[in-house]
Amino acid sequence: MNKVDRTRIIVASAVASAIFTAFSARLVHIHITKHEEYSRIAADKHSKRQIIRAKRGMILDRNGEILAANLPVRTIFADASHITNPQELATLAASRLSLDAAELAEKFASGKKYIVLKRQVPEQLTLDLFEEMQSRRLRGLYSEKDSIRTYPNGSMLGHVIGFLNHERKGIQGIERTFDAELTGTDGYRYIERDRTGREIVPYRGLEEEPENGQNIRLTIDMHLQAILEEELDATYKELRPETVTAILVDPHTGGILAMGSRPTFDPNNPGEAKPEQMKNRAIIDMVEPGSTFKIVVAAGALNEGTVDEKTSIFCENGRFVYAGRTLRDHHGYAQMSVRDILVKSSNIGSAKMALMMGADKYYEYVRRFGFGERLGIELPGEIAGLVHPPSRWDKLTITRMPMGHAVAVTPLQIAMSMSVIANGGKLMSPRIVQSLESPQGREKTMKAPLVIRNVVPEKTARFVGNALSAVTQPGGTATYARVTGFNVAGKTGTAQKVSPNGGYAAGKYVVSFSGFMPAEDPRFVCLVIVDDAKVASNLNYGGTLAAPVFSRIAEKTARYMNLTPTLPAIPLLDSPLAKIENATQKTH
Amino acid sequence: MNMHALETPVRSNPVQIGKILRMALLLMPLLSGGLSFVYIKNQQFALGDQIRQTERSLRETRAENEVLLAKVTSMTSRRALQERVSSGFIAVVPVTGDKIARLLPPTQETETTALRTAFNGASRQ
Repeated sequence: MNKVDRTRIIVASAVASAIFTAFSARLVHIHITKHEEYSRIAADKHSKRQIIRAKRGMILDRNGEILAANLPVRTIFADASHITNPQELATLAASRLSLDAAELAEKFASGKKYIVLKRQVPEQLTLDLFEEMQSRRLRGLYSEKDSIRTYPNGSMLGHVIGFLNHERKGIQGIERTFDAELTGTDGYRYIERDRTGREIVPYRGLEEEPENGQNIRLTIDMHLQAILEEELDATYKELRPETVTAILVDPHTGGILAMGSRPTFDPNNPGEAKPEQMKNRAIIDMVEPGSTFKIVVAAGALNEGTVDEKTSIFCENGRFVYAGRTLRDHHGYAQMSVRDILVKSSNIGSAKMALMMGADKYYEYVRRFGFGERLGIELPGEIAGLVHPPSRWDKLTITRMPMGHAVAVTPLQIAMSMSVIANGGKLMSPRIVQSLESPQGREKTMKAPLVIRNVVPEKTARFVGNALSAVTQPGGTATYARVTGFNVAGKTGTAQKVSPNGGYAAGKYVVSFSGFMPAEDPRFVCLVIVDDAKVASNLNYGGTLAAPVFSRIAEKTARYMNLTPTLPAIPLLDSPLAKIENATQKTH
Repeated sequence: MNMHALETPVRSNPVQIGKILRMALLLMPLLSGGLSFVYIKNQQFALGDQIRQTERSLRETRAENEVLLAKVTSMTSRRALQERVSSGFIAVVPVTGDKIARLLPPTQETETTALRTAFNGASRQ
């Protein structure tokens, strides 16, 4: 090989090496230096993060009855870059989804990769649409899993269950309080699609399974709720009050067995409800409790030793002048025991017991019974009520508060304070959630009953309870609360409504009955509050309006709970309203 | 005539079977490896399609199950049953007090002046 040949070979090799080195360098640059950037661009073109929706948990009653469930639906969307025949696809989709074909064709022409066509499309309709597309060899439409929340019982328990907004966030009731637990955690999967839009399964990337929401089991018993709601409906229709509220509680655990109020709404159609209908009045309404509040002063005075079972208090024959104002009783009483003060619901006797206790001590008992604080029920919006400290009282407050005036409390607080007497002196935290369960129902997180505090000793509670039993006996203020075969204990309440313009509204009353049964071994506490019933003033009392409702609820509840009657049967008596109607018919 | 030229053996290009076999043996694993790769890839895609179909039918079955559950829940809900009872579709005979046998039967009260308002649907009618 001569010198020229060798030179040529060296030059050619050098050129070839240079070319290959340049290409290699470029490849190294693309593969290593620019790896992240190009991977991202490639992933953006082909790979997609597919969200796998977690299933929202159900809400159940204590027996497993479904109160809130999910109805699967689909969201139909289009990827315009995959559409081959936009006109035909627009016509088909428009006819199936009840949309405008021209509008769809316009959307398809935009070339966008994600165009939502319709939400909440029934599952079967989606399947039919895709089958039709397959048979006509059309492509470009896809669906995403979604669901609608349904409440099979309609308005029943609507205030407690609540509802979701359009973003599927709970905005009232249990749906709101336990939104995080019910929602669960969405999963995801990185997928790649071929040019026809079908997923290429072998190229699946990172994947995480969704964690479905937990089921919430309530303490509510729908049998008892149905009893309560039936009576609420009847009362609302019959007495035409502004509102009517009832609560049924297990006094030993604080578990709410039933809760409802009127007016109400259907959580399936919350948009149609007025704000007034959506309020859970059991926890967000403030009322002056009236005489049901007298149990506080009686229990407090007994516990402090200010009075005992034999103490006799002079009730001023019905007129007690204090701080320049006269306090009256319905009937004039002279000497009365603590028991009689409760049975006859003497305002003067209660005021005198508070005076004997002193403002600070009395206030302490008001707070110990749970008034003026949120009791911690697992529902949003619970209010604390309004109980001013003695430093803000005027001279009359100490005589007005014992009879349930100059104080604003929630119906739930009244029911829980009666539970203190029923369960032997313990203030229980009201519970409406019994347990949280995994979707398969295996793992359970039980919510144990919680004692907030010991308010009074069992002996004191028993004494007050016995006095309350006499309230429903002939001579008491709540004979209409009696239930055949059972001993009922309870207290009526009648309070004039506070006027928005200050003072009290003439002729408007909030009447209530709070009681428990059987008195000797209470299984439930029931509160009924009727706000501004449209009846004559001489009938507008807790004993005449709320007590009969309590009686009907209590009798049906006793039957459902299979309680054994311990007393002889008593004959039926017309309700006070029926009596008046009968009398009116006779006179005409 | 150049005798030497005639005696010179003819240069032939014989087929070198040994080398060919050796090359074939070397290439065989590569070929079979490549074919296996293509076969496995095809299998992978076919299985992928099957997985997709199975997942789809599973999804549909689950969705159908949920739809049915929602329907059953709605049809057996307390509200639906109460509507059926009130429309007379389901006849319910109320159990009266005298039909309930108890271990401790209550004695009948002879006193007629005693008050009672307890469940008394008639008073509403």
